Amino acid sequence: MTGESLSADRSVELRPKMVGKPIRRTEDPRLLTGSGRYVDDITPQGTLHLALRRSDVPHATIRSIDISAALATPGVLAVFDASALEGEILPAIPTSRMKGYYATPIWPLARGKVRYVGEPVVAIVAESRYAAEDALEGVIIEYDPLPFAIDPYDGAAPDAPLIHEEAGTNTIISREFARGEVDRVMEEAPVRVSGRFRMTRKTALAMEPRAYLAEWDRRQRALTLHTTSNIPGVIRDVLSECLDLLGNRLRVIAPDVGGSFGGKGSLYHEEMLVCALARKLERPIKYTTDRLEDLTATSQAFEEVMDAELAIDLDGRILGLRADVVGNIGAYSIYPWTAALEPVQVVSFMPGPYRFEHYRGRIRGVLTPKPPTGPYRGVGRPSSTMAMERLIEMAARKIGMDPVEIRRRNLVNDDEFPYRTASGIIWDKSAFQQCLEAACAKVDYPALVRARDAARAAGRWVGIGLASYAELTGIGSRISVAPGMPINTGVETANIRIDATGAITAAFGIASHGQGLETTLAQVVADEMGCKMEDVQVLHGDSGLVAMSSGTFASRSAVLAGGAATRSAHVVKAKVLRAASILLDVPVDDLDAYDGVVRARSANATLTFKEIAKAVYSQMGRIPREQREELTASETYDPFFGTACSSTHLAMVEIDPETYGVTISTYVVAEDCGRVINPLIVDGQVHGAVAQGVGAALLEEIMHNEDGQILTASLADYLAPLASNMPRIQIVHVEADLPATIGGFRGMGEGGTIGAPAAIANAISDALSPLGIEIDTLPATPERLFRLVEAARSRSAI
Amino acid sequence: MKPALLSYHCATSIEDAVAALAAAGGDGKIIAGGQSLMPMMNFRLVRPSVLVDINRIPGLDTITLRGNRLGVGALVRHRMTASDETIRSHIPILHGVMQHVAHLTVRNRGTFVGSLCHADPAAEMPMMTQFLNGTVHVAGPQGRRQVAVGDFITGSLTTDLASDEMVYEVDLDTFPEGTGWGFHEFARRHGDYALAAVAVTLEREAGVARRVRLAVMGLDDRSRRLAEVEAALEGEAPDAAVLDRALAALQANITPNGDLNASPEYRRHLANVLAKRAIADAWARAGERSRT
Ligand SMILES: Cc1cc2nc3c(=O)[nH]c(=O)nc-3n(C[C@H](O)[C@H](O)[C@H](O)COP(=O)(O)OP(=O)(O)OC[C@H]3O[C@@H](n4cnc5c(N)ncnc54)[C@H](O)[C@@H]3O)c2cc1C
Repeated sequence: MTGESLSADRSVELRPKMVGKPIRRTEDPRLLTGSGRYVDDITPQGTLHLALRRSDVPHATIRSIDISAALATPGVLAVFDASALEGEILPAIPTSRMKGYYATPIWPLARGKVRYVGEPVVAIVAESRYAAEDALEGVIIEYDPLPFAIDPYDGAAPDAPLIHEEAGTNTIISREFARGEVDRVMEEAPVRVSGRFRMTRKTALAMEPRAYLAEWDRRQRALTLHTTSNIPGVIRDVLSECLDLLGNRLRVIAPDVGGSFGGKGSLYHEEMLVCALARKLERPIKYTTDRLEDLTATSQAFEEVMDAELAIDLDGRILGLRADVVGNIGAYSIYPWTAALEPVQVVSFMPGPYRFEHYRGRIRGVLTPKPPTGPYRGVGRPSSTMAMERLIEMAARKIGMDPVEIRRRNLVNDDEFPYRTASGIIWDKSAFQQCLEAACAKVDYPALVRARDAARAAGRWVGIGLASYAELTGIGSRISVAPGMPINTGVETANIRIDATGAITAAFGIASHGQGLETTLAQVVADEMGCKMEDVQVLHGDSGLVAMSSGTFASRSAVLAGGAATRSAHVVKAKVLRAASILLDVPVDDLDAYDGVVRARSANATLTFKEIAKAVYSQMGRIPREQREELTASETYDPFFGTACSSTHLAMVEIDPETYGVTISTYVVAEDCGRVINPLIVDGQVHGAVAQGVGAALLEEIMHNEDGQILTASLADYLAPLASNMPRIQIVHVEADLPATIGGFRGMGEGGTIGAPAAIANAISDALSPLGIEIDTLPATPERLFRLVEAARSRSAI
Repeated sequence: MKPALLSYHCATSIEDAVAALAAAGGDGKIIAGGQSLMPMMNFRLVRPSVLVDINRIPGLDTITLRGNRLGVGALVRHRMTASDETIRSHIPILHGVMQHVAHLTVRNRGTFVGSLCHADPAAEMPMMTQFLNGTVHVAGPQGRRQVAVGDFITGSLTTDLASDEMVYEVDLDTFPEGTGWGFHEFARRHGDYALAAVAVTLEREAGVARRVRLAVMGLDDRSRRLAEVEAALEGEAPDAAVLDRALAALQANITPNGDLNASPEYRRHLANVLAKRAIADAWARAGERSRT
């Protein structure tokens, strides 16, 4: 074990621990019985409701807006366009130190021109959402259409019409990662494989759509925003600037949140709008997006074209990789991550968990009149892993090597860590090879191969595919989650206190929105402090809890908040033991706490946490004045670097050779997330993420037509996976050497979405390999497979 | 996505519902399960001034066998049609088809008759009503009338129903014991509207197929029986040559559209695949004793 441990007292290790136990989620009773409290459940007296008239054209200047009919609609109180909000709020600027980048300002309503279908233009404030929607058609907007390029390659051309004239270009992001001499290596390599891989546009599709409620307290001149955000701390900080309100007059609360998957992880127009309007009108203002708005105006994901080429030698050793990636980032760069977040990670992570020297990855991010792209579970890596893992299996096929063997030869070995990848990412030691072996062992890989071959001989289209990857999780302050970003996501605070009644409260800056962190963090606190888990209440999702916070994203919370919890709990425990030592008149070294009771090892003396709290706070004279300490601590944790989380996914699929429907018959995930805090929760995260990856692989695609209009505007057209699409997922937890984080935790909330698209694309390609078909575009829909098969058949007919 | 202002009338009888529709002067709408109507109202594609709720009218939730016809009342939900024993034994193909319709929550509300009145070209219930020579029972201010389904469905999402009329029942063919049936559809996910579907029934007499019925869905602007395909199979054993002729007739009689999920070419391809499978199933099942 190399995990940094703060417990000097080894005897604690012998006691049954909370960490590692499959404890049922303590948040579930309220969430599953309808007692959750989501933003839309909160309606203070006098709340006004908002409806938005959104742009129905992709790129145009606004010539005129006539709101008179809307204003005359019964129940309508006010109608705003950008000009009516002038001076009420400043724009948010998603700055970055990246070279050549342009930070598109974010205003609550479109000013002067519109840049995508779905952009908010006019806000209607009414007594009910019904009345507000009644008024929508009364708004008459005249547009002067502007030319545009919806295809990023066209948009990158020198003479392309500009989405943001001030930027002087649509290509606001250009980065290159290079090491070695990749062009020479490619030239000389005995074997090369290449492809143009496409990860199409997706949306995060949280079950609860985005919702915001702003309340202005006239007496305190203070604003409270309830938001579905998973980054309430970041939102507080940026709105503080936009609204010119300090943190003691601006509180941002994320109550129960029904999923985000990245879609609720950025600042939104509507979030700014409700705040500005609540302050101006001095009434609570609520806005809840409906599913149509969720599909058109929540940040979207991916849409990358990846030209990638891999060189190997005849032994299957990787010699070099080169990739040229173009991302269609949509019409705006988002706050705080910027539009660079996703595409830059595609090239920085493309070398994956493999050992090789020569690499060049280029990325261009191009503005187009489509909804902005933003974070999506797995960020960058679902795309990069798809391209890299496809190339690995294409290469294996080309030299007739087993796809497991080629990975075995190239995955970084135990004795090579820490390993600096060709793009500069440093992997700390993680179970790269062991995950590959564990996945194969779980399904008896040789038997699976025989089963596939037998099915194939019988004319069935069956294939096996793998995906190995590593991701950087629990990132500290040394590394920016998005390049050159102006916020700090590398620190987390745990504010723990025992109050006069003996209750233990642990407050964090994170914002759990489905991850079960109320349970896992209570487990960590209970172990470290020696208290009962059920006595610990975990608070989160409220900017008022700690001085600085960001939220929950980037697989950070278990690592960072878990570490901060350990530190604070350690300090509080020491205070509890010191107080007990005085009360029992026993040396501190002789005391230990477990299950809410402090015991002396040598004497028959015990005190409960509650008794100690009473003595410290309420019973004057029991603790000498100069030795009395508040039973509180507020410690932070910054892991500085991050830690690798690695995994191998293995899928077997069968394709109906007539309808081209795909069925996943076997699925296994072997992953190393360090010390497992709660295996039930880890399994749940893997199941959910794999389901999302199955969606990306087979079903989900946001489509716009050439006119910039969305075609997938309802859940009848944007197809999310159903239970009937899901295989039984087998999971192997590989707990190899623990990382150097406090507690030995690695982040794991995103992994499934990273591995599944690649593994399934590989399995389909394997199934179709007798026809010489390689999958390069996801989702692999029946229509796409039909076209590939038809083309392959007409090729072989020639 | 909130409906426009409307008033609501909870009808107590068929006559009451019809009177409420008449009083609305062409602007009323019946709500049955609401599974198609409510989304359209939320998108404000439909804006009735009065919503006439038929869910509380007694006696409409029954499935009745009358001789060789089966009556389905206006409040028979998909869940009932899918699990009813009389349907399973007398119209086994309908029992089979219903397993493909929508998801649990939708099936608990949606009605057979509501789907027929909605006349979605990709819906199974209008297709099966045509397949089963349905007669539509209509009540209006002037009294009651019966319409053959072929005259009832006038196009995609349109019917012969006047704005003050209501359907209270539809009655359908049942099949003699031993009738073989096959139904195949392809949908992106289970319970979605299908990209294409083919239904077949036939009887097997002296080694050949008799009384062949074949209908398709999703391969045209509306679902329909295909007489030429039926004729190609009638009196034949479906061997390779017969199948070829039948499929040629099928291809000659459809004009599939393209949409987000399927191109016309892929739909044509599916048509053959599904027809082959449905015919093979029907042929294999014919002569089986299924009735209990
Ligand atoms: C998620 C989802 C998936 C679905 N999948 C499928 C599928 O796979 N296959 C399929 O076929 N359908 C599917 N449907 C549609 C479903 O079958 C609907 O229930 C059906 O189309 C309408 O029945 P209803 O009782 O809900 O009618 P309503 O929605 O209440 O009414 C539909 C229309 O018919 C009229 N109407 C209803 N009853 C009468 C009557 N008695 N007399 C006169 N007019 C009447 C209404 O005024 C309205 O115009 C799906 C629906 C949903 C929401």
